Amino acid sequence: MTESTRLRLTPTTATPSSAKACCDTSPQHTAGTGAPVVALVGAPNTGKSTLFNALTGSRVTMGNWPGTTVEVSRGVWRTTLSTPSCDSEKCASAHDGDPLAITLMDLPGAYSLDAHSPDEQLTRGLLQDGPFNERPDLCVITVDASRLAHGLYLVSQVRELATRVVVAVTMSDIAAQREVTVDTAILSRELGCPVVATDPRRRTGVVALATTVRTTLADPVPDPRPAPLTDDALVLDDDRFTWLSEAADMATVALGHDRLTLSDKVDRWVTAPVAGPVLFLAVMWAVFQLTTTVAAPLQDALDGFFSGPVSHAVTSLLALVHLQGTWVEGLLVNGLVAGVGMLLTFVPLMGLMFLLLALLEDSGYLARAAVVTDRLMRTMGLPGRAFLPLVVGFGCNVPAISATRILPDARQRLLTVLLVPFTSCSARLTVFVMLGTVFFGKNAGTAVFGMYVTSVALVVLIGLLLRRTLWRTMGTEPLIIDLPAYHVPTLRLTGAVVWQRLRGFLKTASGIIVATVCAVWLLQSIPTTGGQAFGQVPVEDSVYGVAARTISPVFAPAGFDQWQTASALIVGFVAKEAVISSWAQTYATEQPQPGQTGLLGDHIRAAFEQSSGGHPLPAVLAFMVFLLAYTPCVATLAAQRREVGLRWTILGVGIQLATAWLLAVAVFQIGRLFW
Amino acid sequence: MTPSMDLANAPLGTPLTLIRVDAATSRQRLATLGLREGASFRLLTRTIGGGRIALVGGSRIALSKDLVRQMRAQAAR
Repeated sequence: MTESTRLRLTPTTATPSSAKACCDTSPQHTAGTGAPVVALVGAPNTGKSTLFNALTGSRVTMGNWPGTTVEVSRGVWRTTLSTPSCDSEKCASAHDGDPLAITLMDLPGAYSLDAHSPDEQLTRGLLQDGPFNERPDLCVITVDASRLAHGLYLVSQVRELATRVVVAVTMSDIAAQREVTVDTAILSRELGCPVVATDPRRRTGVVALATTVRTTLADPVPDPRPAPLTDDALVLDDDRFTWLSEAADMATVALGHDRLTLSDKVDRWVTAPVAGPVLFLAVMWAVFQLTTTVAAPLQDALDGFFSGPVSHAVTSLLALVHLQGTWVEGLLVNGLVAGVGMLLTFVPLMGLMFLLLALLEDSGYLARAAVVTDRLMRTMGLPGRAFLPLVVGFGCNVPAISATRILPDARQRLLTVLLVPFTSCSARLTVFVMLGTVFFGKNAGTAVFGMYVTSVALVVLIGLLLRRTLWRTMGTEPLIIDLPAYHVPTLRLTGAVVWQRLRGFLKTASGIIVATVCAVWLLQSIPTTGGQAFGQVPVEDSVYGVAARTISPVFAPAGFDQWQTASALIVGFVAKEAVISSWAQTYATEQPQPGQTGLLGDHIRAAFEQSSGGHPLPAVLAFMVFLLAYTPCVATLAAQRREVGLRWTILGVGIQLATAWLLAVAVFQIGRLFW
Repeated sequence: MTPSMDLANAPLGTPLTLIRVDAATSRQRLATLGLREGASFRLLTRTIGGGRIALVGGSRIALSKDLVRQMRAQAAR
């Protein structure tokens, strides 16, 4: 059995100076305090994370995308020794007499130790800047056999440190397709460190790697590679490039290095001026459609299951113990069951989104999509790949927040996380359609479309605003993307990525979602007037109702200060899906069927008529704009907290509320002059 | 001596030698990917927005328009 966990590090702020210190924080995921610590490093797309998975058997993010590994993963690598004549993985058990557990760390993908990106900064911090006795005992550096020189710059820099190095040559299958062969014996001689060929996708060469690592661990730390005694970076670089070029030339026979491949022919279309954007939009449309249409019935089924059979079962059980109709039933059915039900309805949506993302990453398409969208996104200081989470946001903000992980730079991730809530998710659409039908009749479609246009404008404007205030120093380095070869994603790796991300979401989001749903129930259950029992109180007489009345004057300048409207917005903070049901509850009417407005529509129309002083249309438009711009739901907050921490999540909420209120007031005050 | 040209004006598919990178902030990043002065490479494709995909040492590197304008090369001998 193997164990692993992921150690979250924010590269710009929390770069650990000690590999061993960070491994000692959670003993159950390390091989113990006395065990050797091995760091797995290498350029992106060299199979590093896949090798980590093969060695530890753990679940770890793997992707065919530069900079996928934005966190440090670690696990226990249970090694055995092979004999020189036997490197069969099946034969490993024959050598189990001498097992050794090693703590293996998967460091972020890095082309060098020069700290160009937060990921490289993290790797440098662990390998170079920490105290000598706290660095890893050995570095395994993965290099891609099909483009050997590409990965050797990092080897040259690590070899200048006083540390043990083993080079793992991967991607031999792609090298074979390109008629490139690497002689590991010659490469080992030239680099001055052991070199092992391994194929983590097929799990071959793993025992040989273990044996080499153990043998090297038993040896003393080798002398660093002699480098020129100068601080001149150009001289040092020249020396490194000369050294690695010689090593690569000596060890490589590259008959087809410059031959055009199928990937090149595909790229001619995929990144072309017209075909590229058309294909990109088609892929985005498919992602959007799949996440909304395929997941929707599953979400409805889960929702129905929890609000129907599960709730009924709990009620029946409570009846057996004579607790039916009491506050206990309210807590269990409207609090816990509703909260868990809401959490689980996100599972199909998130699972599908993570699956599609993993497929796009692993196939190699995402790197091309970044090329296509680069110019557009660069106006906001974001790279092209930021387009994907923003598009996903129009389906649901929660997976969109998680999708920002495809961005390698921490600040770009943060900016995108703050922008995603302004994309109009499908939950908001249901409210827009209902209000559009009630207030705008046959022009409802135009009103809803206007909300989507407003949403896009908000993303661009807020992006530009943040870029010119909080992120003034964020560089706009020109696009340089290392395009991986296309390949068919493997089911096992894709499944592992999906499960790992889904598990992370459930672990982080479950608490906040269930707690918030329970908190709303609690506030709706506490009476504020005498003579009413806990849990048996009309909403307007509850603490919740009183709070809504207290807050509602804030919305007077925007023309919707009815307490029922404020109440719907408070519930909407938990989930936009609950806005209409909140109105139905407070007005004590049935929810209208789709396409109909019913009695509830009359109530709402009257409320806006009254609160706006006879200007219901600008008031409802102001309400719709507020609904568009303010915090989407607690699940989004949970996802934001997971990605960027509590402080930035709170700042994001502040930006959303301020933007929503200012816009709503502007829409109403200007609109009332005309309508 | 073969005349130099910026990559925006360099032909596709022709073997080239990189002679200069004027974009100082990108120079080292390009070098780690194999695109350093003296390196042999080819331009494969013109991408949307005027960028290029370069083939160097078996790697395919996408470069933006503003970058290819700051890189000079000459036809390889």
